[in-house]
Amino acid sequence: MKDDYFSFTGGLFDSSTIAEKPEALKEIRVLDLSRIIFGPMVAKWLGLFGAEVIKVEEPEEGDDWRTGTYWGKFWKDSCPYFQSLNQNKYFATVNLKEERGKELLLELAKTADVVIENYRAGLAEAWGLGYTAVSKINPKVIYISCSGYGQSGPLKFYPSYDIVAQSMSGVARGTGFPGRKTYKLPDYYGDFLPALLGAIGVLAALNARERTGKGQYIDMAQTEGLMRVMHNWTYMAETGEDLGCTGNYDPAMAPSGIFKTKDEKFIAVAIATQEQFVALLGAMEKPELAERKEFRSTLERLKPEHAQEINGLLEEWVGLKTEKEVIELAKKGGFPVGQVVDDLKIVTDEWRRERGSVVEFDDKMYGKGKWAGPAVSLSKTPGRLKWLSRPIGYHNQYVFKKMLGLSESEIGDLEKKGVIGYWDNRVGKRPPSYWDIAKDEMFNYGRGDQ
Amino acid sequence: MKTSTKGPQVFSKHMTGKKTQEHLANFERLLQKMTDPAVNKPGSLEDIRILEVSHANFPATICASMLGELGSDIIKIEPPKGDPAREVTPYGVDINGVGLPFLMESRNKHNITMDLTDEKGRENFARLAGEADVLIDGLKPGELDALKIGYRQLAGLNPALIYVAVSPFGHYTSKAEQFRNIPDTDLTAQAESGFPMLIGDPREPEPYNYPLRAGIWAASYMSGALATAGTLTALLHRNKTGEGQMVDIATNDAISAWQGFSSVWGFTTETPRARIGNFDWGLYPYGYYKAKDGYVTVCAALDHDFRGLLKILGRWDLEDDWRFLFDRLTDDPEKLGELEAEVQKEVGKYGCEELLKKSFDYGIKAAHDKLRSKGFPIVVETKVPQQVVEEKHWDVRKAFRKVEIPGCKEITIPASPPQMSESPMRIKWIKGGIGEDNQEIYKKHNLRE
Repeated sequence: MKDDYFSFTGGLFDSSTIAEKPEALKEIRVLDLSRIIFGPMVAKWLGLFGAEVIKVEEPEEGDDWRTGTYWGKFWKDSCPYFQSLNQNKYFATVNLKEERGKELLLELAKTADVVIENYRAGLAEAWGLGYTAVSKINPKVIYISCSGYGQSGPLKFYPSYDIVAQSMSGVARGTGFPGRKTYKLPDYYGDFLPALLGAIGVLAALNARERTGKGQYIDMAQTEGLMRVMHNWTYMAETGEDLGCTGNYDPAMAPSGIFKTKDEKFIAVAIATQEQFVALLGAMEKPELAERKEFRSTLERLKPEHAQEINGLLEEWVGLKTEKEVIELAKKGGFPVGQVVDDLKIVTDEWRRERGSVVEFDDKMYGKGKWAGPAVSLSKTPGRLKWLSRPIGYHNQYVFKKMLGLSESEIGDLEKKGVIGYWDNRVGKRPPSYWDIAKDEMFNYGRGDQ
Repeated sequence: MKTSTKGPQVFSKHMTGKKTQEHLANFERLLQKMTDPAVNKPGSLEDIRILEVSHANFPATICASMLGELGSDIIKIEPPKGDPAREVTPYGVDINGVGLPFLMESRNKHNITMDLTDEKGRENFARLAGEADVLIDGLKPGELDALKIGYRQLAGLNPALIYVAVSPFGHYTSKAEQFRNIPDTDLTAQAESGFPMLIGDPREPEPYNYPLRAGIWAASYMSGALATAGTLTALLHRNKTGEGQMVDIATNDAISAWQGFSSVWGFTTETPRARIGNFDWGLYPYGYYKAKDGYVTVCAALDHDFRGLLKILGRWDLEDDWRFLFDRLTDDPEKLGELEAEVQKEVGKYGCEELLKKSFDYGIKAAHDKLRSKGFPIVVETKVPQQVVEEKHWDVRKAFRKVEIPGCKEITIPASPPQMSESPMRIKWIKGGIGEDNQEIYKKHNLRE
């Protein structure tokens, strides 16, 4: 029988009711001028929770990530990774080499609550599309610039990528076994974490604007984002030393590590508190160890020589147990254990399906697929996937007619002059080959109305 | 990289003109004015009242700290003996018995104690929660509910309350119920998020070939930041409707859900991903290399960037080598390994400074090229944290702050990005004492002693 509390929460987060619930960021308009991951993920958060996000790309070229797929694999003529980053967005184009293109962009910016860019520092300003230009025509705008090192300081113009930020922040040298090579954090953590901090900045600014009526400028530096989440600075100031590489041992938790079980599975165990330590010793049937002075408190246990001893004992014990046995003992005793899972497990995980963090979604253009759902569940205003990415310029008609009030002939003129445009025939940029674009209502929004 | 008297070097022809340079200089002055700490601008969440109650749950503690930086009025409620998170610290290094991560994430918090096992404590708790805007619950799922001070009870008392639950498997689903006794740590959350399965090199000898943890608290910080973003989103809904809600974060899912690539890979290939050392799944070259006198990071993944790299390394002969065609995005790490060996061999011939200069000079030259198709092979030093703190750039941007712990000593902590011009994030204080604000807070909120 379900516990009373879990029936209650199960009702609050019932996934079958999501579509009926309101969206927290409805009526917020976002102009997303960004590319790759860092900027687009700021926009993704806002779009997931209901904001109207207009992603503006260059005709024909578009976001580099459209073709930046893993191992050259495409899915229905699109990059599935790009799909994952650019959901619920309107895809418009503007050619910035044309003066009229810049004007169009500023007209859109005039109507936006939030503008997001991640050009190299200073470039948007140099093009007359920066905060100075936009705030002049739209003083309430919240304008976020995402860059490698921020908009001030001697390094500001230097280019950056996730891995560059990992190197410039020192993250790069902290992952690995002592005395051996170091590893980068995978899947662009150096973009995703800073992007989330950028989204926090935008959301905070929206909250502030409701009280003060004022917009503002936000300077999000990727490298500083990573520096914010490191303990190295404080530790170094205290001890004069760096934390260094410690393999699978977390020096703040003893014992801790990733160990191999009797049935050859990897399992993570990390003991943060004395209470958890006592629970672990209970499972290990060695309760007497808690009485030894080396292990009597967390701070004692963490001393390197003590930690080493207890880590050895844990490793030995895990080797004699199956994965299932360790997990069952952890559930009973209440100490931290985690399965070391892979991608396949993640995408087929029943827990994630029930939670809504992996969703099966049937897209109008691309059909069925499995995608990461919102990483945070909100009971009354849940985030939701509404549509996947679209080809370059797909929403031009919708954006320029509905949002800027241009007429059919004005748009035709812009197309002729190359101010706005569409995909070329390259994979990643065009619609799927089976798609009849001539019959696509959204693509042809309002065509033939006049 | 030095700032010359002519102004900083730029890497785009769009930024070279005199007028543009003037504009950019003006913009930097404007920025300095906007972010001047001497002008005491209010934070984004001024007057928002936040409670944190957590038990060795850093994601909850980090979330509260981030909301604190945003200017909220924040009270951390601990049991009389303190939150055991206080002792979770690298190598057991403490300041007056308090660990470094705990101090680092105590930004602008008031610390009070309350015994929730006791009737009076629960009454006090309900009183505070009745007046609060946000409650961050970092206890076991259902623990507060069993004490009759969970969301179910508090929402009746205070319908505008935003209740933020932070736990390994969340507060709903059948697995969450079965696993509710298992506490959160960064390492176990990384594992459940699939992170270690992507780090490390299976070609290394045992045990160095094991799945490997990220050397920072990648999961705890991702979870804490997600909880913060969720709270702010819920506040925006409340501003419009007056309605609170429950926000739920599963720390074991934070990285996998936000980064999303695991799902993409899993669904399109229906296989687990193999670990491939420092190779990347979409970009090459994109990794760490050994130079003559240290380590460098090379990022030259777009075609024209890669060509630029071949030029600065003097290996243009590789450009049309049939083995490395298909944009080098081969799905054969063995073959990629051959190209990698070539790149490593060349990089190893030079010192770090030399390589940096080659990259830098190439970038400047390419920016002035009319065709602008020459790319930018980025090479930076793969820095250890000691080198990072010496970088002048971070000094100019005040990226590290020294904060005095009252009656104790000064500690160094990273500042709070992003920089915001009108409602800046701020570190007002760091306090470490258990219950040191009891008197003030108990009195202010009319709590029973």
